[in-house]
Amino acid sequence: MNSSVSDATINRLAVLATGLLLATGAGAADGAAPEGRSIAYVVTNLSWALHSTPEMAECPQGLNDGVREQFKLLFPEVPGRPREFVDTQLRRQVESYHPTTAPDALPFLEGQGPVAPGLDLDGVVGPEDFTGPDGSRGIDNQMHRVLGCIANYRAPDGPIRFFEDEMVLRENYNRIIVQLAGVDSLASDPAVDVMIFRGLDPVLVDAGGLKALPGGTQRIDTRWGTRYIRRTQGRIENGVLSTEPVDLLYPWDAFYMPTDHYMWGARLHLALTPDAAEGLIAGYTDVETWYLHMQRNWSAHYQSYGKSSGPSIYKAMRRLADAVPDPETGANRAISSALAAKFTEVRVLPFSEAELAAIAAAKPGNPYGGMPARRPVEEELAETGAGAAPASAVAAQGNH
Amino acid sequence: MRSAPRSRHCVALIALAGACLSAAGARAAETEPYIPEPLPPGFRVEVSELDGPVFADREGRTLYRWPFRTMRNGVTGDGKGESNCPDTPSTESAGLMSPYPGGLLLPDRDQRPSCQQLWPPAIARRNDQPVGKWTVVERRDGRRQWAYDGSVLYTSVRDRRPGDVLGGDSYREDGDAPAVRDPIQPRPDVPPGLAVSTTFRGRLLHTARGFSVYAFDGDTRTHSGCDAACEQQFVPIQAPAAARAHGEWGLFTRASGERQWTFRGRPLYVHAGDSRVRSLAGSDVPGWRTVYTQETLPPPAEFTVQDSSAGQVLADARGRTIYSYTCGDDAPDQLSCEHPADTQVYRLAMCGGGSAERCARNFPYVEAAQGARDSGRLWRVVEIDPGTGHLATGGAPGALRVWAYRERPVYTFAGDRQPGEVNADGLGEFLADREGFRAFWWRDEFFRE
Repeated sequence: MNSSVSDATINRLAVLATGLLLATGAGAADGAAPEGRSIAYVVTNLSWALHSTPEMAECPQGLNDGVREQFKLLFPEVPGRPREFVDTQLRRQVESYHPTTAPDALPFLEGQGPVAPGLDLDGVVGPEDFTGPDGSRGIDNQMHRVLGCIANYRAPDGPIRFFEDEMVLRENYNRIIVQLAGVDSLASDPAVDVMIFRGLDPVLVDAGGLKALPGGTQRIDTRWGTRYIRRTQGRIENGVLSTEPVDLLYPWDAFYMPTDHYMWGARLHLALTPDAAEGLIAGYTDVETWYLHMQRNWSAHYQSYGKSSGPSIYKAMRRLADAVPDPETGANRAISSALAAKFTEVRVLPFSEAELAAIAAAKPGNPYGGMPARRPVEEELAETGAGAAPASAVAAQGNH
Repeated sequence: MRSAPRSRHCVALIALAGACLSAAGARAAETEPYIPEPLPPGFRVEVSELDGPVFADREGRTLYRWPFRTMRNGVTGDGKGESNCPDTPSTESAGLMSPYPGGLLLPDRDQRPSCQQLWPPAIARRNDQPVGKWTVVERRDGRRQWAYDGSVLYTSVRDRRPGDVLGGDSYREDGDAPAVRDPIQPRPDVPPGLAVSTTFRGRLLHTARGFSVYAFDGDTRTHSGCDAACEQQFVPIQAPAAARAHGEWGLFTRASGERQWTFRGRPLYVHAGDSRVRSLAGSDVPGWRTVYTQETLPPPAEFTVQDSSAGQVLADARGRTIYSYTCGDDAPDQLSCEHPADTQVYRLAMCGGGSAERCARNFPYVEAAQGARDSGRLWRVVEIDPGTGHLATGGAPGALRVWAYRERPVYTFAGDRQPGEVNADGLGEFLADREGFRAFWWRDEFFRE
């Protein structure tokens, strides 16, 4: 079972919003304001928005190899030729924990266009942009090129995709809440206040334990989660919330490890109903923070579930990064991306005086800056040899 | 019930950035009560600071077993009544941990000890006889080895004093950790329905379902300051009609007539607001504290405690999270690679990509303040050669005086830029259960069970 948001769902976003609003009949559908002019939603499903078709049109050359397959290619078993642990397994672990932008010694298959979900983040229709499933143009989602042909991340049931999505509901650490205030109507409002924070409580679910139900109660986490508190502005048109960009640190652990992601210029694009919200969170994902999350949650064994390879992903992500240039090196730190997200309505307990003070004093969390003492590209090249790199990877070196 | 005496000294703690650790002298000298059982002649129970009571041989050396364990790609450890710990060094990896294959030549083979060099078998004397759960097993080499409950026993070359448990511990979590050696221990003397677990702060008393047990400062042996409203939040732990007071366990009759367990004279409760096992949330309520059968001594005085996104972590004086490095290699004998006497190849690869200089910049040792002294057995100041990662001897040039936990040096991570960041927690293989860095969680409010 995978309940993450699919391409088809994204494609139906506008229709869905209208349909659900009409179906519920209450409040927003007739343009009425929610109670107290405020409504909150808790995230229940989250996955990277990729275009994953059954016929794999976006991966004409097939899917990428993972750690296990790459090891066999790089260090084949040859009778009479013993392999040293240091030169093989440990070398790959070093390349994984101390990745560089040296060309990949193995081919990397990027997700192809023309279709990918996401938003137009830069207001430009460029040659690297995709067309959305709904036909919208100028979609910025280079993350689709990185993850689109890796089995772990593909819809509907890539292993990492499945587990990361499942953990959103299961783990209180991941309790992201979006609260709207000053809402005159869930159908249309030119200006609403948006606050993003972490809740402390389990999501209300049905007897099966997997279906989130509206009407649950949440408390704001001002003890451990102040770094996640952010505010922005938004507007509602035809039942769809669109927010102004805000740099967003958000919690997303997978296997009991307190890991976060960071999205520069994140914006929400959500179809709202009184009971639920669904859509995209799009922006520029910080590469080092993303990679650290993966390394901490998904070491080599787990990457092998669905054939992904840390070093290859890092190289591709750095090569395809398209925003937030590093002030010193000029290399881009972030990559355009989108998250497919589902939310369920929750009631947030009124903030106490102490909580209001904590909110006012909250300092937003930072992206991870990468391993402070980095391994030089030359060191990896001396081990791998640049000659083995595919032409596409070599050509992209100018990006660094 | 028996409690072994143990000396303690108190260390004054300074709160710098973040929370103060603990008030000096606030901890009692109690040790965990246990159920005595017949022992071989001369064998005894020693009380370790972290793991509580452990069985020891005639010389006071802690006894360990190597439990049979299912790994990702096979099994290793001792079956009942047999030893799989050889006297020749392993030379190849076993491929027990996915996804890498076995048959790779292990690093530092010329210096690699054998399993038996690190884990000498607990050899029985010629006339030693079985007693209780203790039996004697004939080894393949003809010697006779002590066994407990069917598991053959070893000592550790890392242990030097009675009460040391430096070879293995009962604290390490399962998951995908190496097939580690466990100290064998007498059963804690706790009433039915209660249990004890080793935690970083001490031997935590909890219910059989895992929920922390609390005591209230407003209670005495004869009076409870927790009224009916309070009982909605802190639920008394009922004692059955057949319960009898014994040792440090007593009974308190509440105003309702309900009988309640007490420990060391304090009525015991669970916190209704604890939403997960081993939560310490109830201790946020003024006057309430979690109950330990014995507590560890405080960490070094210059350390602090910081709030992170998932609870509280131990940190250095500047608020930077402190990490330990865990490592077990993938050989059939599953030897440790985390102690400074072990090979440093794995650690240098993980922290610096093979470079000791990068390691020192990424994961600097936590240097001890001038004049800093050991805090009990767990936290000690050791001298390290930063170039090799091995112990330095006698003030060698360039040696660093650093803090070590269970003799393993501890580190901060230069990638943590703000107090409370835990960017290196779990960095490694299998969430660092197998190899890598783990933060010292003083209080984990989200994950640890």
